[in-house]
Amino acid sequence: MFYLQLRNELWKLFAKKRTYIGFLMFLLAQNVIILLFRFTNGPRVSMIRTLEGNGYLAQQFISALTVATFMLLPIAYLLLPLYVSLVGGDLVAKEAEDGTLRMILSRPVSRLRLLLLKWLAGAFFSLALVLALGLFGVVFASFWFPWKGLFVFIPGELFSVFDAAGGLQHYVVAHLMMATKAVTVMGLAFMFSCFNVKPAAATILALSFVFVNFIMQNIPYFHDLQHWFLTYHLNIWQFMFAQPIPWWKIGESLSILLGFNLTFLVIGLTVFQVRDIKS
Amino acid sequence: MATLKICWRLRERNESNRIRNAGKPRSPKVICLSRLAKIFGQRVAVDDLTLHVRAGEIFGLLGHNGAGKSTAIGMMLGQVWPTQGEVHVCGHDVTRRRSLALQRVGAIFETPAFYDYLSGWRNLEILSHYSAPTPAERIREVMEWVGLAGREQSKVKTYSHGMRARLALAQALLPQPELLILDEPGDGLDPEGIHEMRQTIRRLHGELGLTIFLSSHLLNEVEQLCTRIAVMNQGRKVFEGSLAEVKQPKNWVRLRVNDFHQAVKSLREENLIVDERDGQFVALASEAGTDVVVRRLVEQGMAVYEIARHEQTLEDFYLGLMRNDSDR
Repeated sequence: MFYLQLRNELWKLFAKKRTYIGFLMFLLAQNVIILLFRFTNGPRVSMIRTLEGNGYLAQQFISALTVATFMLLPIAYLLLPLYVSLVGGDLVAKEAEDGTLRMILSRPVSRLRLLLLKWLAGAFFSLALVLALGLFGVVFASFWFPWKGLFVFIPGELFSVFDAAGGLQHYVVAHLMMATKAVTVMGLAFMFSCFNVKPAAATILALSFVFVNFIMQNIPYFHDLQHWFLTYHLNIWQFMFAQPIPWWKIGESLSILLGFNLTFLVIGLTVFQVRDIKS
Repeated sequence: MATLKICWRLRERNESNRIRNAGKPRSPKVICLSRLAKIFGQRVAVDDLTLHVRAGEIFGLLGHNGAGKSTAIGMMLGQVWPTQGEVHVCGHDVTRRRSLALQRVGAIFETPAFYDYLSGWRNLEILSHYSAPTPAERIREVMEWVGLAGREQSKVKTYSHGMRARLALAQALLPQPELLILDEPGDGLDPEGIHEMRQTIRRLHGELGLTIFLSSHLLNEVEQLCTRIAVMNQGRKVFEGSLAEVKQPKNWVRLRVNDFHQAVKSLREENLIVDERDGQFVALASEAGTDVVVRRLVEQGMAVYEIARHEQTLEDFYLGLMRNDSDR
């Protein structure tokens, strides 16, 4: 029964055109970045200079994996939260707005069960989106760039080089970690969606929360307090490209994200449970 | 074929209900609201509502827009939390055991909402799985029963208003309900649609033996369908009773004389009437006949042009109730 209901939630979610906006935009953004990287000199020259300045043979690292990872940063910081919160904000609020929530709640299904089903569907979507991001990046980049080593450079954060096999492993694990970011942002939007608000309001509230955190985290004055900001833990995936991987730091952030997720879910459930569902 | 199967099953069920109920003085209460109240902020939406609906009834909840009908229905379905009071549906407390209470309940709302981007079939599948796993055969039967066979795979956005209403009925019938709750079922339908809806409700009551609870502000609809009604005004119940009680509460006659007020005064002094309204109707005292009234008026020198029995319509009754309630 639970499986059938979850399947139905996924049906509802994936039959909507707007669910695919994120996938489509990733495709567009990644291909535009790849083409710019391939046919303009600016970013490539800068990367070559950084590599050779550090004693590496640049041609060994201008690869599909490097370009895919290079694209990952802006997309994961800006676009990923946007699309997961768009779907997370819709999950409950859109059904309430359309009136279908009232139809569902005239059935003998508990509100708790309904929300858990919806949250799971949202989590499934988040995973699928991250998977698509990783897959699209590496597949399309490999049309234009050779399969060689991976070079990752985040100013002030990390500088790493890997051979092709090691690079691919780090690329995959980084995406698994990024899935926690996607699920958390989706969970945040989902929590707002449980309030009596419009779907757009839930999405905007979630994005505002994430971006305000990000801005504050990056103000130099708050540098010592950055561990207190959600976005610091959301972006822990980038440390999967560090050498060696700081597992203790990752474990700490994952625990904090788990706490955030549970809090968002409990607040959402409580608000939804006490809410009156009216036309 | 499927229709036949349904009818056969229904007949079987009605028969077993008849045998089960044989010898019992009254049918069980399917809906039981006691001292129910709901306050939204400062606004009292429902105030001290007590109501009982028995199995097999078609019960109408009347009231103007904003009278509290939909809020009352929301509380019956566990969608709105009561501020005070208790709601029992099919013998179970809705606030505590909602899943049990709604197991055999179907509901239709004034503007049935569906997933427009999905087919009618998929909509039914999704909604019915919130109650229990529903075999495809059952969905097919119900689709046929409501007359949507052949359009089940079309997207709901291509459905007309009437077809959406039929789909709403189909989703309500899927869990094989004993009780059907209809919130403003005639809203937004054209006269043909209203007629079709009325016929369907009669069929549901007659063929399936369902208990039907409907809310409406359309007096004509309620008058033609319901066996018992309750009237709400500003959140309060101002009347509950059978339609027969509504139509003959008093012995009303239309009286046309040269001076109506003088005639009323005189008849009251003689205790021949108990009420008057609209400058032309008087309610006779139980022992008074029209012949006595006419004789008295003629003896007093008044010209009587017309005296005729008047059966009160639901509209007269409703308007009278509203007037009396606002005077209070």
